[in-house]
Parts: sequence; structure tokens; C-alpha cells
Amino acid sequence: MIQVLAFYLFATLVIASAVFVIMSRNPVHSVLWLIVAFFNAAGLMVLVGAEFIAMLLVIVYVGAVAVLFLFVVMMLDIDFAELRAGFIRNFPLGIAIALVLVAELVLGIGAERAGALKLGTPDGTAAPLMDRSNIEAIGALLYSRYLFLFESAGIILLVAMIGAIVLTHRERSDTRRQNISKQVKRRPDEATINVKPEVGKGVQL
Amino acid sequence: MDFAASLSLVAPEILLSTAGLVLLLVAAWAGDGASRAISIASVAVLAACAFMVAPALCSGAMGPDTVAFSGQFRADAFASFAKLLIYAAGGAALIVAPAFFERVHAMRAEYPVLILFAVLGMGLMVSASDLLTLYIGLELNSLAAYVLAAFLRDDERSAEAGLKYFVLGALASGILLFGMSLTYGFTGTTSFEGIRAALSGTISMGALFGAIFMLAGLSFKIAAVPFHMWTPDVYEGAPTPVTTFFATAPKVAAVALSMRVTLDAFGGQVAAWQQIVIFAALASVIVGALGAIGQTNIKRLLAYSSINNVGFILIGLAAATPQGASAMLVYLAIYIAMSVGGFVAVLMLKDADGAPVEGIAEIAGLSRHRKVLAACLAMVMFSLAGIPPLFGFWGKFVVFQAAVQAGLVPLAAIGIAASVIGAFYYLKVVKVMYFDEPANVAVGKSDWAHQALLAIAALFISPLGYLLTRWLGALADKAAAALFLAA
Amino acid sequence: MNAIQIIVFGPLLAAIVAGLGNRMLGSVAAKTITTAGLFLSCVLSWPIFLGFLGGSAEASVTPVLHWVQSGSLTFDWALRVDALTAVMLVVITSVSALVHLYSWGYMDEDPDQPRFFAYLSLFTFAMLMLVTADNLVQMFFGWEGVGLASYLLIGFWFRKPSACAAAIKAFVVNRVGDLGFMLGIFGTYLVFQTTSIPEILAAAPGMAGSTIGFLGYRLDTMTVLCILLFIGAMGKSAQLGLHTWLPDAMEGPTPVSALIHAATMVTAGVFMVCRLSPMFETSPTALALVTFIGAATCFFAATVGTCQWDIKRVIAYSTCSQLGYMFFAAGVGAYGAAMFHLFTHAFFKALLFLGAGSVIHAMHHEQDMRFYGDLRKRIPLTFWAMMAGTLAITGVGILDVFGFAGFYSKDAILEAAYARGTELSQFAFVLGCIAALMTSFYSWRLMFLTFWGKPRWAGSEHIQHAMHDAHVHDDHDHGHGHGHEVDGTAGYHPHESPLSMLVPLAILSLGAVFAGFVFHDGFINSEQFWNGAIAYNEHLIHAMHAVPLWVKLSATVVMLTGFGIAYAAYIRDTTIPSRFVATFPQLHGFAFNKWYFDELYNFLFVRPAFWLGRQFWQRGDVGFIDRFGPNGAAWVVAQGSSYAKKVQSGYLYSYALVMLLGLVAAVSWALAAG
Repeated sequence: MIQVLAFYLFATLVIASAVFVIMSRNPVHSVLWLIVAFFNAAGLMVLVGAEFIAMLLVIVYVGAVAVLFLFVVMMLDIDFAELRAGFIRNFPLGIAIALVLVAELVLGIGAERAGALKLGTPDGTAAPLMDRSNIEAIGALLYSRYLFLFESAGIILLVAMIGAIVLTHRERSDTRRQNISKQVKRRPDEATINVKPEVGKGVQL
Repeated sequence: MDFAASLSLVAPEILLSTAGLVLLLVAAWAGDGASRAISIASVAVLAACAFMVAPALCSGAMGPDTVAFSGQFRADAFASFAKLLIYAAGGAALIVAPAFFERVHAMRAEYPVLILFAVLGMGLMVSASDLLTLYIGLELNSLAAYVLAAFLRDDERSAEAGLKYFVLGALASGILLFGMSLTYGFTGTTSFEGIRAALSGTISMGALFGAIFMLAGLSFKIAAVPFHMWTPDVYEGAPTPVTTFFATAPKVAAVALSMRVTLDAFGGQVAAWQQIVIFAALASVIVGALGAIGQTNIKRLLAYSSINNVGFILIGLAAATPQGASAMLVYLAIYIAMSVGGFVAVLMLKDADGAPVEGIAEIAGLSRHRKVLAACLAMVMFSLAGIPPLFGFWGKFVVFQAAVQAGLVPLAAIGIAASVIGAFYYLKVVKVMYFDEPANVAVGKSDWAHQALLAIAALFISPLGYLLTRWLGALADKAAAALFLAA
Repeated sequence: MNAIQIIVFGPLLAAIVAGLGNRMLGSVAAKTITTAGLFLSCVLSWPIFLGFLGGSAEASVTPVLHWVQSGSLTFDWALRVDALTAVMLVVITSVSALVHLYSWGYMDEDPDQPRFFAYLSLFTFAMLMLVTADNLVQMFFGWEGVGLASYLLIGFWFRKPSACAAAIKAFVVNRVGDLGFMLGIFGTYLVFQTTSIPEILAAAPGMAGSTIGFLGYRLDTMTVLCILLFIGAMGKSAQLGLHTWLPDAMEGPTPVSALIHAATMVTAGVFMVCRLSPMFETSPTALALVTFIGAATCFFAATVGTCQWDIKRVIAYSTCSQLGYMFFAAGVGAYGAAMFHLFTHAFFKALLFLGAGSVIHAMHHEQDMRFYGDLRKRIPLTFWAMMAGTLAITGVGILDVFGFAGFYSKDAILEAAYARGTELSQFAFVLGCIAALMTSFYSWRLMFLTFWGKPRWAGSEHIQHAMHDAHVHDDHDHGHGHGHEVDGTAGYHPHESPLSMLVPLAILSLGAVFAGFVFHDGFINSEQFWNGAIAYNEHLIHAMHAVPLWVKLSATVVMLTGFGIAYAAYIRDTTIPSRFVATFPQLHGFAFNKWYFDELYNFLFVRPAFWLGRQFWQRGDVGFIDRFGPNGAAWVVAQGSSYAKKVQSGYLYSYALVMLLGLVAAVSWALAAG
């Protein structure tokens, strides 16, 4: 019973915070609402027994992605009011489409006929490695059955990195960078000169 | 199927990824000065991969021996056919690039590496027999493509193209993932074979929605209406060698992937998706043709032309027969040649300073001072319009033939009628080149690599191409047979 | 190579060489080739004719090639030569050769001479094709060929709008006749199952009395066929009803008028009726129609000819009138007389036209006789040639002694009409006599106005232009002009034509003087000459010889009367014509306006046709087919294109919106279908 209550709590909060993400005026608030949504999603994952995924959500999405978003949003000078103008103009249409799509999914998939909510009690079909922990099970599959795809996913990340470098990395000629070997190689006689200033006259450099 | 056998089946992919990694290291150490050498090495790698996949196609490989990694990957004749086309297109994109980028000092060593990884992703796509493979391949290709579109990062249009492609691609990915989730949820498996088995009998509405969402996501990749909106902007904004690449290889990969999904995974439920494919086919043909009229930029025009051509390819898919699949493959092969020819010709249009010329008005009277180039471009246009005796006609012919034999006579009739609209803007380009007062803008010299590539493409789409029909048709039949045996 | 093949294909070859060579070849070469070709044909033709005249030649057929073989329809391209063809051969080749020669001088200043000579030779080929036809299809080929050449030559000066209009008129009016001819050919094939002329003529008597369904009625077969064929002849020979194109055809160069619209093409109808005379003999109704139309035309054209001012138009109506004589001769059964008149007429009418051309040439392209006068002494050679022509056409001669060409042929026709003895033929005889009176009147009127009286040249714009140009050239000489203006010459000096024009005139004059005297026995009285080429009515010939003396003299009497009236009105008292016009304005207006045929046709056919055409064009074609067809489709495409461009806004969110809309639509569709 408490699980059912927790599910509805988390689910409601996910949806509500998602709505606030797009509704809030301040972009910083949007990101904060996004973090709330992630947390609640993690809660849902715990409920179905996928605690590793839940941890990933918290650590990766909240800890890294959302915080990065926050930085970016705070640092960028974007006129959100202007962006919002287009958004508001198309808002009714967007809502209408969303409603139609939701209605069709509900009707089509027959969610209303699905009966009472059943939580993720393992029945042995979807999770073949039940006697192990979540992390062990995922690891075992990733490095055996899905090895090829796992490695391919690694290449995707590599491509993303290459892309980031290609698109942003610049050799700037106008910045002064520290050249350590040049500093180390430097001799005192190159760096200093002795002059004897006469009285009443400055030093001529 | 043991692990070693699986590895031998993915040998081309292993070679590609290893080569990509090694060349990336070379690029990091040698810098942009080595980009030409890396490009040449990449072309060599692609050629080697082509030799590795060719035997499977020639022998018509199919059945359990071609399945690797417990049903996630399939290296059959169908995959080989598509991969050969992809490798060829990737090679073309590599060959044409240096001359283009070097002029603006933007040739960077990452370009060939990104192309190699994109080709790798496409190889995964066409070999996919599992939803996960499908998605990984698609994303690998897409990510590389987003970067490539924005490759001229100092050029506003290029950056805009990359951003647009990325945002809309992410949306399409979301739709695709949602469809995959639904499909997995209602069938309990991610393997195509399993989905097919689970969907025998009446299809549940949930699985049907899954199929539709997946088709929508894939339609974005092949730029079928109504998921085509990005195409003109991206094709116009992206650097022309990249556009050449976009218009060819990913099309083949996405079309082949769509064939796998529809004819393999959802092959038992043709009625569920046939109507939607028919609609997308007709809409693509008509919107592509209408959109192209009134364009002033030749790259944009070719973008609409590619939408138009995808419509014709989808007519073959709507037939849902081995013959239709074979016709699509033949069409794809010819389409690759026409697209490469068209874009290489565009690449060769330069003004006196060597800057690219893209306006249709600026190539007015091209036939007076660049006779051969104008003739080749005119040939490409006639071929795209499907006018015999050029080879483009053959592609349309086999597709319509397949549609008619599958009983889709009205579809074929409307397609033929709509191709008349298409002929208008293709012929308009020819008219501008041959009959308008010379604008004398596109007078620059061409790179020899461009000339060679254009010559090959022109030779292929010339009436001499008909010498290949028997051979090409036999290969396409083998590939289609492998696809349907897997199904 | 047979002589007949050279005769026929020589002009074609010359036309091809001159036509395709055109400017490359140059005027002189083109003229030389075509003229040489025609003289060769002419030289080869006369022996054939003389052979038939002497009775030594036999009818022959020279095959050229197999033409059509389709089911039961087979016919070859073959050249048939018999007495009838031989007559036509000499007429065509002689006149054509002389006209070619004449054109050297007449067209000397024209820049397009190769084209002109190529057309002339092409025409000659087509005409030879027509007269040597062995079957109806080949005859039709020649028939249309001469029509084409006529069109091209009338419109030769195509920069002149009136010439183009005349060319179109000639072509269109001929289409009406050609439709009849075509229906006649189709019907003949339907009835006889062959297009071969000898076979048809052999089978024709057997068909007399049979009936055929036509336009929902049951009609006599031969009557229907003959009338249809005769409609074709009416069109080509400008008979009453379909004559309107002939006067307008005078817009063409004068040598063309002489060759095509006097001597040869317009006689094709007469030739056709004679060629098919055994067919016509089987249908008295058709013959009656031929007689009536011929007589009516003869009378009608003569009345119009009496009050025209344009020298060429007078001769044109005269031609029309003479063609009427030929037809009613054929209608009463005197085919020999018809052919004889055709033969003589070819010479004297070509002579008159070429003479008129010479006058026009001398008068600096002035064609209005009101601005002539007193040319007798200025251009004496032309005058004498015209005199010979006039004597021939009016039929001057003394019975049983000597007569000019027209004397024998016209008298033979009138005698035959009288001798036939039916009411209709008597009527034709009366009309023929009246027409002969008017022929004499207008011919002498032409002579008197042109060659006698005082010079009236000063009023002519053409002459004024000529003088103006001359003044510009030598200014110091202008004092001379004033003295001459008093006598009406405006200082203009008519000049005699060059030798190349005078030689044809001289040769044709010989023909006009002697053709009748030399050949009338052969044509009229000799069955042996025709030898079955035309239907020969021996009874009629005997009746002709037995007519009363007053009939034989009547033609001479009316001729003298006509001369007397003309002399009185244009030499003695030149106020008579204007007084006559003032007294009978309706009568003169009726004749002067050509019996209002043009106005009538304009009202009945031309304007309704234009109206109908405009309806089809603006309402049917532009308003319906174009609007909903090509233009409509183009409009839809253009609208769709602009809409597609509008949707392609460049904004990300609108792209995303379209994607989502597409997705929702697809899902909805699946939901609705499922």
C-alpha cells in the first residue's frame, strides 16, 4: 500500500515538475524544477527495484548534467523573453497536439483497461540474473551478451568528444600562454642589465 | 554461434573502428597538415572494407551463418549491398573534401575520422537485427553527422545547419526511442526475430503505435514528408562535401534500416504500416517536387530533389514484396550515382576567385564556357527527372513495376504523374544553363579529383549504365532474398 | 529513261536544285537551270503531241513505282500518255517555258528570284503529275500540288498583306472544291473498288442507273459521283460560286497569273471532266449541271469584266468567262471543242497576261487602266502582241478562210451548244452569244483605254513616285517636267520591255494567230486523234456541221457589235460610259461589285466562321481547356510551391511542429483504421 502511495506521489511530482520546467519564467527555476523531476524519476526507479538506475539518475543527471545546465543558463546571455514569444504563440497548438497524442496513447494502448497497478516484483522472465545485485547483473550482460554494442556506444562517446573539440577548440594566437621550458631555459644575463644612472637623470631603457 | 565467428562477421566494422582510432591518433600528433594523407588512408580503409563485404553479396549470404552476437547483428547479402553503397558514398565524400576545405583553410584531420565513424554507424544500422543495434548505429551516425554539418564553424549557415540538424535529430531520436519502448513493452523483446514472432496474429494497438513511432523516427533520417523540414536548410548550410555525404550514405543506411524494420520486424503486419508508407511516399514525391520549384539555390533544389527521390524509393517499400525491395536497392544505387554527380558538379561551380557558386541564376549560360561541366550537370538533371535513355529512368521503372505487380496501380499512376512536376524544375536548370544569357560567374577551374568523380558518375548514369542492369538486378535480387529469408 | 519521265521529272529536279540551292546558287544559276529544264520538257513534248496528231502514236503507260498496297486498295505511280495528256503536255510545257523566259525580264529586280523560279518549276511538275495521272489518287496528288504551288506563288510577295490574304483565300476556297473532289474519289473507290482511271471508265456505263445512299437519300450513283467530282473542278477552275479566289489571285506576279491562273492550273477542272468524260456521259443530270454552271459563269464573269479598271482583273474575269465556255462545251458533250478551246485559250490568254505584264512593266507597276492611254506608239511591240491576243480572244475570222485562234474554238462551242438541241443547251448558246458580245466589248475597251486616247499617266501614284525618284537623282533636269504635265504624261517615258519578255510575246502571238487554223480539224473533227481518250459523240459532230448559217455567223456578228460599242464609247465619245453609269447606277454597281459575291460570302461564311472560331478559341480553348488543363495544373503547382515555401519558414519550432503534426496524424490514422 505504501508503495502504491509512493508511486502516485513520485509520478505526480515528475509530471508536475516537468510542467513547471516549461512554465517557469526564470530559466534558473526551470533547471531547478528539472532537478526535482530527476529526483522523482529516481524514486520511481527505486520502486521497480532498479536501484542502480536510480543512483545513475541522481549522480549523472542531477550531479553532472543538471548542474552543468545551471552553469550554462546562468552564464549565457540569452533573451528568454524573446524565445518565449514564439513559444507562447504556438502554445495552444502545442497543448492541443499533446492532448490529442496523450488521449490517443491512452485509448490506443488501453491503459485504462490495464487493471490495478502492479509493482516490479521480479518474476524471473525479464531479469535472468536474479540472484545477483543490480550492478552485477547489468555488468554481466554488458560485457558478454551486449559487448559489441557496449563498445560501439563507447565510440559514440568518442565521436561526441571529437565533435566538441572540432567545433570549439581554437588555437588562439592573441593569448599569452605560459611556456615553461622557455622560462626554465632563461639565463640571468639575458634577463638583467646593469646601468649606472647619472645624478639628475633617469635610466634610459 | 561462438564469439570468434561473431568477430569474423563484424570484421569490416572492427577494421573501420580500429582505423578510425589509429587515424585519430595520427591526426592528434600530425595536426591538420596530415589531413590529406589521412583522407587517402581513409579511402583505402573503405576500399578494404568493401572488399571484405563484397563476397557475402556475391555469394548471396543469408540464413543463420550470417548472424553475429546472438542475433544483434546480421552480415547478410542485404547488409553487404547497402554497405557497398555506403562505402562508395563515404569515399566520394572523402575525395571531394580536401579541395573544398583547403580553400578556406578549414581542412582538418578530424574530417576523415568523423566520416569513418559515421560510416561505421551506418554499417551497424544496415546490419541491425535488434532494436539496440539499430539505435546505437543510428546515434553513432547522427552524432558524427551533426558535427560534420557544422564543420565550417566560422560559417554562420554551417553552424545553423548543425544546430538545426542536432535539435530536430534529437526530437526524432526521442520519437524513435519512444516507439522502441512501446514495441519492447508490448512484445517483450528487442530482437527483430522476436518481435516478428510476438506479433504473429492480430497486432495490438500498442505495438502498432510503437511501429508508427519508430517509422516516424526513421522517416526523419530518410527525410520523408512530413519529417523532411530540416533537409533544405541543412543541405544548403552544410559544406558541400558534407551535403554530398548526407544526400547519399545516410539515405542508403536509413532506407535499408527502414526496410529491415518494416519487412523484417513488422514484416508480418504489412497492412499496419503500408497505408502510412504510401502516404509518406506520395507526400514526399509531391512536396519534394513542389518545394523545388522556385528555389534559387542549387543545393536547396537538390535537397528537395532528394526528398522527391525518397518518395519514389518508398513506393517500392509500399509494395512490400521481394521485388519491391530489389527495386529499391537498384534505385538507391542509381540515386547515389546521380546525387554524387549532382553535388560534385555543384562543387565544381566556382567563381574566378575559387569561391563556391550556388545560385541557379549564376550558372546561366554555363554551357558557353564550361561545356563539359554543363553537359554533365544536364545529364544528371535529365537522369533525376527520369528521362530515358539515361539510367535514372531505369530506377523509376523498376520501382513502378514492383508497385504495379504488387497491385498498387493507383500509387504508381500518381507517382508517374507527380514525376512530371519534378521534371519541370530539373529541366529549368538545364534551360538556365543552355538558353539563358551567360552570367559568366562560374568560371573557376576544377580540381582533378572532382573531374574524375564526376566523370565516373556521369558514365554510370549515361545510357551505358543499361549494360549493368542485369548484373545490378541480380545482386539486388540476392540482397532482397536475404532480407526476406531473415524475415 | 523515257522521254515522258524526263518531261515530268526534269522540272522537279530543277525546282529542287533551285529551291534548296537558293541564295547559295544565286539568281542566274537558278534561273538558268529551271528555264533550261522547262525548255527541255517543251522540246520533248511537241513530238509526242505531233505523233498523236499524225495518228502514229499509241496511248502508253510508263510505271514509276509501286505506291500503295493496302488490302484491296492498290495503285501504282505511273505516267499515262494519250492524246488528252499530249495536248496538256504541250500547253503546260510551252507556256511554262515561255513564262520562265519572260520572268527573266519581269522579275529582274526581285531579290528572291531562285525561290520564284523554284516555285514555278515545282508548279509545272505538279501540273504534269496531274495530267499524266493513271489513277485518281495520283491525280489528286497533282491537284493538291498545283494548289500548293498556286498558294506559294500568289503569296510570293509575302510582305504585302493583300498578297497573303489572296493566297489564303485561294487556298481556302479551293479546299471547298477539294472536299468535293475527295468525296468523289472516295465514292468512286467505294463503287468501283479501284482508283485506276481506265478501269473506272470501262466500268462506268455498267453502273448507270444504279443508286447509292448519300446523306440519307437514295440517289443515282453516277450523278452523285460526277457532281462531287465536278465540285472539285469548280473550285480549281473558278466556276460560279467558287470563283471568288481567281480575281484576288492577281496579287501574284504577272507571269504567275499567265501560267497558273490563265493557261494551266485553272483548266485542270476542264481537263478532269474531259478525262472522266465517259463517267459524265452516264449521268445526264450531272452534264446538265456542268452546262448550266459553265454557261452561267461565262455570262457572269463577262458582265463583271466589262466594268473593271484593273487591267489584270479584266483579263482574270475574262479567263473565268472563257472557262465557262469550256465547261458548257463539255456539258453539251463536245469534249473535243472544250479541249480545243482550252488549247487555244492557253496561248492567247497567256499572251494577254504577259502583254499586260509588259504594259505594267512599262508603266512602272501601274495597273489601273484609267491612268494609261496613248501607249500604242510608246511600246509598239507590246501593242502588236496585245492586238494579236485581242483578235484571238474576240474570235476574229472569216468563215472558211482564216480566223484567229478563238474564232475556231469559240464558234465550235457555240455550234455544239446549238446543235445539242436540248433546252438547256439552247439557253447556254444564248448566254454564250451574249458573253461573246461582252467579251468583244471588254477586250476592245481594254485595248482602247490602254493604247489609244490621250496619256492620263499624271494621275498615277506609281508614275509620280517614279518621277519623284528621277527628280531626286538629277535635280538640274527638273525644268523639263512641267511642259509634259500639260499633256498628262507627267514627264514619264514608258520603255519597251527587254528581249527576254518580247520573245515569249512573239511566240505566243504566233500561237494566238495560227493555233486555231492549224489544229481545229484535228481537235474537232477527228475521232482518230482522240482515239478514245475522251468520249466522242459522232452524232453531235455531224449536227455541228449541219447547223444553220446564222448560227455560224452569230459569233462574228456579236463580236463586231461588241467592237462597235467599245469604239463608240471609248474612242468616239468618251462621255458615254459615265453617262451610262449615271443612268443605270444599280446595274453598273451590281456588275462593278462582282454581283456582291464577296460581300455575300463574307456575310454567310466568313464572319460566322470567324465567330465560331473565336468561340472555340476564346471560350473553348483558352477559357476551358487551357484554364482547367495546362494552366490550371500549372496554377495548382505554383500555389502548392508557394505554400511549400511559406511552410519552410526556417524556424526550428515550426519544423518540430510539422513533425509532431505528422506523427499525430499517423497515429490518428492508425487508430481510426484499427
